[in-house]
Amino acid sequence: MGYFYTTLKYLAVTLWSVFVIAPFLWAISTSFKDFQSVTNGATYIPWVDFEPTLEGWRALWKSPAQGGVAIVEPFFNSVFVTAAGSAISILLGTLAAYALSRFTFKAGPIRNGDITFFFISQRIMPPVVLAIPFFIMLGKFSLLDTLVGLILVYIVLLMPIAVWIMVDFFNKVPREIDETALIDGCNPYQAFYKVVLPNSIPGIVVAGMFCMIFGWTDFFFSFILTFTEVQLLPVAIVALNSSITPWWSLSAAALVSVAPLVVVAFIVERFLSKGNLSGALK
Amino acid sequence: MAEIELKNIAHSYNPQAADMNYALDPFNMTWVDGGRYAILGPSGCGKTTMLNIMSGIVQPSEGKLLFDGVDVTTLSTSERNIAQVFQFPVIYGTMTVKQNLAFPLVCRNYEKSVIDAKVQEVAEALSLQGLLKKSASRLTADQKQLISLGRGLVRDDVAAVLMDEPLTVIDPDLKFRLRRQLKEINQKYRSTLIYVTHDQNEAMTFAENIIVMDAGKIVQVGSPAELFDRPKTTFVGYFIGAPAMNFFDCQASGGYMLSIGSAEIMTGTDLSKVGSAPLKLGIRSEYIRIVEAKGANTFTAHVQRVEDMGNYKLVTAVFEGHVTKVKVERDIAVPVDRVELQLPAENCCVYAADILVS
Repeated sequence: MGYFYTTLKYLAVTLWSVFVIAPFLWAISTSFKDFQSVTNGATYIPWVDFEPTLEGWRALWKSPAQGGVAIVEPFFNSVFVTAAGSAISILLGTLAAYALSRFTFKAGPIRNGDITFFFISQRIMPPVVLAIPFFIMLGKFSLLDTLVGLILVYIVLLMPIAVWIMVDFFNKVPREIDETALIDGCNPYQAFYKVVLPNSIPGIVVAGMFCMIFGWTDFFFSFILTFTEVQLLPVAIVALNSSITPWWSLSAAALVSVAPLVVVAFIVERFLSKGNLSGALK
Repeated sequence: MAEIELKNIAHSYNPQAADMNYALDPFNMTWVDGGRYAILGPSGCGKTTMLNIMSGIVQPSEGKLLFDGVDVTTLSTSERNIAQVFQFPVIYGTMTVKQNLAFPLVCRNYEKSVIDAKVQEVAEALSLQGLLKKSASRLTADQKQLISLGRGLVRDDVAAVLMDEPLTVIDPDLKFRLRRQLKEINQKYRSTLIYVTHDQNEAMTFAENIIVMDAGKIVQVGSPAELFDRPKTTFVGYFIGAPAMNFFDCQASGGYMLSIGSAEIMTGTDLSKVGSAPLKLGIRSEYIRIVEAKGANTFTAHVQRVEDMGNYKLVTAVFEGHVTKVKVERDIAVPVDRVELQLPAENCCVYAADILVS
C-alpha cells in the first residue's frame, strides 16, 4: 500500500511538472527555430530535429522596418509602469493598512473591517466594470495613451492588494511594539517609520511581489487605455499574433516577459518560504 | 524620578454606554519616589489599566494624574518620561542589543558620548555587556526581557518603571535571579518600580508595598507582612497566602469573645459594637497551634488528612463542619484521629460583611 501510494504520488507530481514546464520548454525550443522548422511539421530537439538560430531573439530589438518586432520600448514601458504603480501602491497601501490596523474608524455603521473590505471589493469586481469609467476619466484629463494615466489606473488596481496583505500583517504585529516606541520617546509617526516599518519589511516585500505580478501581467487595461503612443509588453506580444505569426519571435518575447517575474520570485522566495506574513516581533 | 499621584482616577472602556461599567473604580493613590510596589490581583481586576493610565497608553475617563504635583493627565506617552516593560519581551528585532538600549536616548537627541556611557552602564548592571553587538532578535526570552527593562533604566529622567507581569516568560530558576536584580536596580538607581502580577509570591518577595485589587477596586495597600497578618477583607485573606486564610462563621458573644459553634474564642478585637451580625473569624494556618490538652481558645477537630509538603506538614482537620488547614513543622507528630487546635487571640481577625473589624 505504501509503495503504491508513493508511486501514485510521484506520478502525480511528474504529470503536474510536465504540465507546468512543457509550455516553457516548447517556447524555448520555438524561440530558436526559423520559419521552416516551425511550419514543416512538429520538431522538438535542436541540432537533431532542426538547426537552432538566434533570429527570433535578434528580432526583439530590431524595428519593424528592419524586420524585427521591437519589444524593447514596450518592455521598459511595462517596467516603468509596474514599478511606479507598485511602489506608490505599497507606499499608500502600507500607510492605509497601518491606520486601519491601529486606529478605530467609525462612520455610521461603517467600521475598520468594512473599510478594508471596501478596498478588497475593488478586486472582486470584474475588470470590465471599471474599464469604461477609467476610459472616460482618463480622457477628461487627457491621460489616455500615456504612461501617467496607466500608472494611476494601476495604483487603483494594486493598492487593494497592498492594503489587504498589510492590514493582515500589521494585525499580527503586537501593539506593544508601537506602545513601547511611544514610551521610549517616539511620536506616532516616528513609531511607525522607525520601529514598525523596519519590522514589516517581509510583509512589504510580499505585498510588493503580488503588486508587481498583477501589474506586470495586466493585459486588459493596458489594451483598453493605450493606442499608438504607449504600448506595454503584454499588448505588444499579443500584437505579434498577426496573419503571419512570427512564432519564434513571439516565443522569445514571451520568455522575456516571464523573466522579470522569475527573478523577483527568486529574490522574495525566502520571505515566502519562511511564512513571514506573520509579524514575529516578540 | 518623581512622586506619582492619582487623584480620583477612574476608567471605563465604554463611558458613553447607558450601563457604563468602570474597569477601574474611582480611587486615590500616591506612589512615593523611589518606592518598590507591586499591584496584585486576579486577571481582569484592572491592574494593567492602572498601569496604562500612568504610562499614558490609556486616557482615564475621570480624575487627574500628577507627577511631582504637575498635571500630566493629557500629556502624551513620550512626554511623561515613563518606562514600561510588558508581559512579553518587546524588542526592536531589526536592531542590535546596543541600538535597542540606546533607542530611548536617541529619540530624545542625547549626545553620542552620553548615550554610549549610559548604555555601557546599564548593560553592566544587567549583565548584557557581551551581547551588545548581537542582533536582539537572536536572544533568549529572558535576555530579551532584560533589554526591555534596560530601555527603561537607560534614562535618568524616567519618572517610574512600570512592569506588567514581566517575568511570565522567564524560567522559574531565572525568575528568582531577575527579581533580585530588580531589587538591586531599585536600590542603585532609586527608581520607582511598579510591578503588576497575579502571583502573590512574586509580589511578596519583590515589593515594599503591595496594592491588592479586585474587580476594579483597590482593596488593600500595605506591606507584605500587613497583608499577611491583617487582611482588610476576606478576599485578601483568600488571595494572599498558601493555603488561603481559614475562615469560620461565628457570632460575637460579648466583649472580645465570639463563638464558633460550641467553641468560645477570645480575639484581640473589641466586638461590643457589632451586635448580632453574622461574623467570620479569619486565621492563618501558620498561626494555629496543635496542643496536647484542651484549654483557652481551643477546640477539638477530626483529622481528615496530613500532607507532607516537603519542608512542612499540612494538616486538614474538621471542626463542626469547618474545614481547617494547619501548617506544622515536619518533626511534630500529628494525632491520627482527634486533634486539639488553639487559635492565638492576637492572630485572630474578625470580619463583618467581609470587612475587617478594627
